Amino acid sequence: MMNTQLSQISWRSYGRAVLAIAKKDAIHFIRYPLQAVSRIFEPLTWLTPFYFLGKTFAGPEGNSGFAAYTGSNDYMTFILIGALLANYIAAVFWGMGFALKQEMDSGVLETNWMTPIPRSLFLVGQTIANMCITTFNACSMLFFAWLLFGFQIQGNVIYTLLIMIPLLLALYGFGFAFAAIVLTMREANMLVDVSNYTISLLTGSQFPISVLPRYVLPISLALPLTYGFDAIRGLLMGTTTLLPIEYEVGILILFMLITVPGGYLIFKAIERRAQRLGTLSMH
Amino acid sequence: MVQSIVQRSAVSELRALLMIAKKEWFIFLRYPSWIIASLIWPVLFPVGYIFMAKALSGPEGTSLTDFQALTGTTDYRSFIIIGSILWMWMNATLWNSGMQLREEQMRGTLESNWLCPIWRGSLLVGGSLVKVLLSMATLVISVIELRIIYGIQLVGSNPGLLIFILFLAMMIVYGIGMAFASLVLRFKEANALVFLVRGIFMIFCGVSFPIEVLPDWMRSVAMWLPLTYAIRDMRLVLLTDVTLSQLLPDLLILTGFAIFLPLLGYGMFVLAERTARRTGELARY
Repeated sequence: MMNTQLSQISWRSYGRAVLAIAKKDAIHFIRYPLQAVSRIFEPLTWLTPFYFLGKTFAGPEGNSGFAAYTGSNDYMTFILIGALLANYIAAVFWGMGFALKQEMDSGVLETNWMTPIPRSLFLVGQTIANMCITTFNACSMLFFAWLLFGFQIQGNVIYTLLIMIPLLLALYGFGFAFAAIVLTMREANMLVDVSNYTISLLTGSQFPISVLPRYVLPISLALPLTYGFDAIRGLLMGTTTLLPIEYEVGILILFMLITVPGGYLIFKAIERRAQRLGTLSMH
Repeated sequence: MVQSIVQRSAVSELRALLMIAKKEWFIFLRYPSWIIASLIWPVLFPVGYIFMAKALSGPEGTSLTDFQALTGTTDYRSFIIIGSILWMWMNATLWNSGMQLREEQMRGTLESNWLCPIWRGSLLVGGSLVKVLLSMATLVISVIELRIIYGIQLVGSNPGLLIFILFLAMMIVYGIGMAFASLVLRFKEANALVFLVRGIFMIFCGVSFPIEVLPDWMRSVAMWLPLTYAIRDMRLVLLTDVTLSQLLPDLLILTGFAIFLPLLGYGMFVLAERTARRTGELARY
């Protein structure tokens, strides 16, 4: 007698599963319109004080103090680039980090994981939806920021987008590991909140890292994302970079080569642990 | 003769109020990560603005003169920290008040609690009692932490005046909190409402910058927000040698807000209660 399986597993079926997971997340996003709108406008409430803070320090010749640190007196473009990239960091920490946890809390994680697809595809689907939603939010935020504050981009946007590929892949690879770690915790809100904010600060999303105290600076320099922020600003604004841009891109590619497989392996290890202990339905 | 099983008196109302406070205290203790969060955020939150201010002032501090011309001080760290402490207090109150009744609604316990033969305001005030105590404790810890980490002295030369401003600020913050709880009960989406209200305070009240740099129309809006006065007066008391007579006009406005906002908050709560009874929306979420 021949064993037949109800599901025909193939690359196409995997692709369909990934798209179905991404679609589910997109529907979730649209179902809470007020929440969706606030995700576009909320960053502006953090950016506006920076705009006025800059005005407080501006002399007749503009922000010369800031220019002495960065090589550019356009502090608002500096902040906006940081805010754009910080959007992705927040999306990885909150979106990816909490993706599995939320399913666990709603009680659907165990049943979803019983479906005959590799578990990692859940995270791939969530990554695709998360990247699309974050890109939409970030572009909308930039548009409104341009209307409110105005900003100027002088550099090569195509090169910048190319640099963003290893940066985002590395970030989402890290997200795989983070999502799995969050799954093992009962109360993860504070960890996610503080980690997200601290990483954003240390990588220089809100200020040039050269102003950090000497004992904090090495931590900041040890984070590969710092070089991503720095390289993109260097390309788009012509700011003084920490290292030559090609070195910074090399660091990002190396980071990507470590975090993508590393994140996957950590996820697999925690998945096996959850299967062994039967913790998937607990919260 | 109809006789109620419950003998309502001032003592029974007080007992109910304290029981609600006790329940909130237990919930707080059961989620201890909040304790860590309240220790970390006062130090972490202003970091972005402080280091940006450092970058804007330049390596030699050359741009500090422009800052001083507008604020009267070169101590940008204390300037930002005073604003951010008050804003964080407001933010925490909005979250706590907004979520207090909403969480009961989500858990499905609000309607049954509402049926208890007690003054309804106890449900809100009882929880707030614990939150007031905790926020006061957080405030004191923040002052100590900021002293140790940033070396900032947040006591000033006139502690009496400082305590009076803090008292007025507390009345204002909790008045807004009560009004906010009623709004959340009606509109449900607490997160979006918190983002909106705290965003308005963040932009208009000069949390990290002097409101003098705002355009005229924004400054007019700021003058209608009580947090603007509370932040400005706290800065004046802590960073300058201001006298009581110089602060009097602002203090009168703050006192007005401190009387009006709790009354408005309670009024809105009563209105929300009546609407909820008519529409039966207490059990909906």
